Amino acid sequence: MAIIKRVQIEEEAEIPTASMADIAFLLIIFFMTTTNFAREKGLKFLLPEKKDQPQELKIKKENLLKISINDRGELFLNDEQYDWNVLEREVKLRLEKNPKLIILIRTHKNAPYEYMIRAFDAVKAAGGKKVGLGIIGEIAQ
Amino acid sequence: MKLPRKRQYKASIPTASMSDIAFLLIIFFMVVTVFRKAKGLPVQLPTAKTTERILKQRDLSYIWISKDGKISVDDNLVSPRKVSLIFRTKIQENPALITSIKADKSADYKYVYRIMEALREANALRIVFATRKGG
Repeated sequence: MAIIKRVQIEEEAEIPTASMADIAFLLIIFFMTTTNFAREKGLKFLLPEKKDQPQELKIKKENLLKISINDRGELFLNDEQYDWNVLEREVKLRLEKNPKLIILIRTHKNAPYEYMIRAFDAVKAAGGKKVGLGIIGEIAQ
Repeated sequence: MKLPRKRQYKASIPTASMSDIAFLLIIFFMVVTVFRKAKGLPVQLPTAKTTERILKQRDLSYIWISKDGKISVDDNLVSPRKVSLIFRTKIQENPALITSIKADKSADYKYVYRIMEALREANALRIVFATRKGG
């Protein structure tokens, strides 16, 4: 009996990886176009907690700086009119004199929101940390 | 004279690691991507010098206030009272919620104040006034 010698052909197993990169790049392009990097910018603020019974805070008059903005966009510091350009310097000066100063920004209800941001921005730039936001005039809820 | 026969080389670019690089980039973009949830209202943001970048984008939730006082949350026009209800549920889902108020710079302050009051009522105390960087 003849023995047939089987010649074993070695077949290499292969995974086609040529198109893998194409798929990966396609996904990259998708994510690149949909990504928007931290574009969110703004001024951080922490609102005061709402309590059931509003407690009365006693703040000494010399520790309080009232910044008021009327409906025409005019600026008042403790009832004295000031120019917008000097606000930051003025707040800085007063903070240096009294670091315990609490700043209250009161804006008239019909004043543009921009003015409040301007005042808040100036206070932040001057280094004011304790800031309150208020409103002049009654609003309907 | 006998010249040596020129041997032919097969030119090839190694592409095996290409997909590795590509997948690395994919993973980077996947992690960084945050899909926009709402379109909002067209507003012109005020400018501020001390504008900061808000890095925790995943905790952000937006409220748009247009010039004439329309309020939009998740692409729905809502009343200030509704805002309080919506944010009460939102703050329960994510206690680290930051609310970004995107108000038009010429909107009346009362509209913004009303929203701030509504957020206080909902106990969503961390807010951001969205601004553009500028002097």
